[in-house]
Amino acid sequence: MPEIIRSRDVIVFFKGDSYTVAVSQAMVNGGWPGGQGVQWVDPPVGEDIRIVTYSRGLYGGFLVWGSDEQGDDFTALTRNQPHYRFATIFLGGSLISTSTYERYTYDSRTMGGPLVPIVYKVNDFLYFSLRGYWTNEDEVSKALLPYAPAFFTGVCAQVPKASNKFYLGIQTSL
Amino acid sequence: MSEIIRTRDCTVHFKGDAYPVAISPAMIANGWPGCQGVMWDDSPVDEFRVTYSDGHYGGFLLWGSNESSDQWTAITGQQVKYGYGIICAGGWLISTSTYEKYTYFSRTHAVPLAPIVYIPGQRVVFSLRGYWTPEDEWTPSGSPVPNTYYLAYIVQEPRASNNFNLVLQTAI
Repeated sequence: MPEIIRSRDVIVFFKGDSYTVAVSQAMVNGGWPGGQGVQWVDPPVGEDIRIVTYSRGLYGGFLVWGSDEQGDDFTALTRNQPHYRFATIFLGGSLISTSTYERYTYDSRTMGGPLVPIVYKVNDFLYFSLRGYWTNEDEVSKALLPYAPAFFTGVCAQVPKASNKFYLGIQTSL
Repeated sequence: MSEIIRTRDCTVHFKGDAYPVAISPAMIANGWPGCQGVMWDDSPVDEFRVTYSDGHYGGFLLWGSNESSDQWTAITGQQVKYGYGIICAGGWLISTSTYEKYTYFSRTHAVPLAPIVYIPGQRVVFSLRGYWTPEDEWTPSGSPVPNTYYLAYIVQEPRASNNFNLVLQTAI
């Protein structure tokens, strides 16, 4: 049983920079977990707003609160973010613990074979995966995308294990 | 004589991010100077723990475990006793005496010690023992990858007017 209560997707131990941004229609429709990596997109013509969408390995930061977290049920925050199309982006240097990370290797998730767990080690470089989850694999290079390699977004500060409720500890560098 | 009093291992001119972390048994046993580079260490319990950097980074520890300035004060031996340190990351402007004075080659071979020449604007990283250095110590020590981190750059080289402290702007 962890001594630190982890009842949200992201637990913040040290806070870096944060501010509010608009979220894309895709994110309004699909929702997101706390810790979701996001990247910038162009706003609709005529609108002067800052919009983010699911990261594809590029970065802007990560969203500290998920759209539908259990911890927010029956509170004033319930569905507040998707309804008003906003979220709070984190960047800079934070120390966090999150459940939003890739559990299985990119190859095993995309090749149709058995799922192979990713082994995280402290001090691993971390990136956003092609769906914006934290991972130690450079999925942008693996997928041969033209903007490879993936951006370095943090280092692993604590590996997932029973004592931390299988959360990944991250020192962010955004 | 330096105009800025430098009586500690790490003198802070501008402060970045700082927070407490647990320190490893090896560090508790052996101590560390202020500005020691540290990297993350896997702890069996739910805590964020660091140990001596081997070139990897998490940040640097602000205060040494046994600095002379702390003698006969409330902080004497406190960090070691309670197993914590203050890690610093982000952007800092610091002066420090915790840097490699001699080249890696001259320290590891039976040759005369060759001083490292520090030049303002140079990129610096952590050495294999977590001291600041402009040298990539991974490559000559047999690592398959070079140490390409960018942890700080040199603002002032060590000299008499700054009490032979290395002045750095960090970017961690």
